[in-house]
Amino acid sequence: MTDMTYRPARAGIGPIGVTTLVAAIFVLLFLAGIGFGSTWIPLEHVAHVLFGGGDKTERLVVLQLRLPRVAAAAIAGGAIAFAGYLLQRITRNELASPGVLGVVDGAALGVVLFMAIFSSETNSLIVSVAWQPLAAALGAIAAIGLVFLLSGQQASTAIRLLLFGIAVAAVCKALTTIFMLVGPIYQASQAARWLAGAVNTINVTEIQLMLLVLVPTGIAAAIAARHLPPADLDDTSSRSIGLNLPAYRILIFFLAALLTAGAVAFAGGVSFIGLLAPHMARLLVGRARAAGIAVSILLGAIILIGADLLIRVAFAPTEVPAGTVTALIGAPYFLYLLMRKDKNNG
Amino acid sequence: MDDLAANRIEVKGLTMAYGGDVVLDALNLPIPAGRITVLAGPNGCGKSTLLRAIRRLHAPQSGQILLDTEDITRLGSKALGRRIGLLPQSPSAPLDMNVEELVRLGRYPHQAMLQPWSPQDDEAVSRAMAGTGVEAMRRRRIGSLSGGQLQRAWIAMVLAQDTDVICLDEPVNHLDMAHQLDCLELVARLNRDEGKTIVLVLHDLNLAARYADNLVFVANGRIREAGNPELLMRADLIAEVFNTDAHIITDPIHGRPMCIPFRKG
Repeated sequence: MTDMTYRPARAGIGPIGVTTLVAAIFVLLFLAGIGFGSTWIPLEHVAHVLFGGGDKTERLVVLQLRLPRVAAAAIAGGAIAFAGYLLQRITRNELASPGVLGVVDGAALGVVLFMAIFSSETNSLIVSVAWQPLAAALGAIAAIGLVFLLSGQQASTAIRLLLFGIAVAAVCKALTTIFMLVGPIYQASQAARWLAGAVNTINVTEIQLMLLVLVPTGIAAAIAARHLPPADLDDTSSRSIGLNLPAYRILIFFLAALLTAGAVAFAGGVSFIGLLAPHMARLLVGRARAAGIAVSILLGAIILIGADLLIRVAFAPTEVPAGTVTALIGAPYFLYLLMRKDKNNG
Repeated sequence: MDDLAANRIEVKGLTMAYGGDVVLDALNLPIPAGRITVLAGPNGCGKSTLLRAIRRLHAPQSGQILLDTEDITRLGSKALGRRIGLLPQSPSAPLDMNVEELVRLGRYPHQAMLQPWSPQDDEAVSRAMAGTGVEAMRRRRIGSLSGGQLQRAWIAMVLAQDTDVICLDEPVNHLDMAHQLDCLELVARLNRDEGKTIVLVLHDLNLAARYADNLVFVANGRIREAGNPELLMRADLIAEVFNTDAHIITDPIHGRPMCIPFRKG
């Protein structure tokens, strides 16, 4: 199967050039994210440590204290951006994203329910935290499944999906609030922090769990994405050229829900990255698929690392959840997209 | 019409319903191979539904559709995509897609999972673009095309699909007279030069009579009559099917029957 890409007329350096450039920015920001802290570690030292060098203190600070936080931001941001890319293309609508389609709030509800059900009298979890991504995934899949069911025959018309998505998201949010209010106080404040989206408390085990969920899902999604080009056409046309669109659409929704769940389970409600990153990627590389996916993922990682870094620079020592920063950038961007006329499909 | 012509498609006892409303009622229709079949009838008679059922876009309540004597429900999505193409009434693609990209999508059913883009794919795309005269605008974005150009680009996509059967749902809607003729001449040429079996839904009865080898009148979810346009273009039949009086003359240029509809009184 070929890559049905073309270079957008404006871009001088082409999709590959843009991808390389964005990748370079990502690497720099990743290193800077680790380097920045109570003591500044120069970027070349950070790189040195990551490749196995450095003295004992530097290794401890970089690998144990700072890397998990930055790596979690990169993984979660990238995964949500990938989910957003898939959803925007399969719904043929740039307003689609895991947040808007209820996936983020569904995952959040799953996690809060998990916290509420499996908390002991002493406010600690009675089961392993490793189950948390499963709870998030169940919540995410339930939410998007519900959106899909409610939309029924018209699941293809993006506006119906978005409306039902917003409704399901609202219900999930309300239920989440109720469970937090009736739940134990400690757990509730934990949940509130987590819901706002924060990567500062993530440990290595959790990162391993994230990767365990996200790497296979990401590979499956990358393979499934090969069939996205025919799905760019209207329903009848894409089916007429031989795509089993109803089944394919469910597959893509499912994969996007899993990607979102894997990220949200640990990083919390990092809102709007799934909307922002793929949209910016499209502006940068046009319709090129492989580059679009790569740039979306890199931008998602960049945005979340950047938001987390901004918090550490601007609000230290107060730990403001990174999700609030992404929401502050993302919400106006969403409004801008809403007010613009839909110029991308016709 | 040649009685010996084999039927490429046979619609047998097809009943289609949306909700409780029966749209097609135990309908039978043979579609001859290598001919142009035009479905005509009043609004809501079920002709578009019939066309879409032939491409298996809707599941029938009962009945079956045979393609070269094989039930189409036995074919996979891609396999059917290699044999029947359909251009819907208002197709849409991302506006920043270019013409060549669109035409290349027609090769989708011919591509296996790990198989790279082949010389045959390139050839089919080139042929489709040459046949529809869109090579010069291959790099143009869909959003920048006029109605006539856009329609040719879409027909090129369906052509690249390289199917034996091509279905077109009201392909000349929204086109001006010149572009209507261009479009139908293109379709007629494909039929003549490449032996494609064409199934068209047309609203304009005179265009239908001019281009059809096999004209089909659909009324109330059934076939009222089908055959040579010379036989179907009768004042009494048109009055019954289309609910209008009509005077039939012979088109002085093409020698085809032409209908002048009117209201008495």
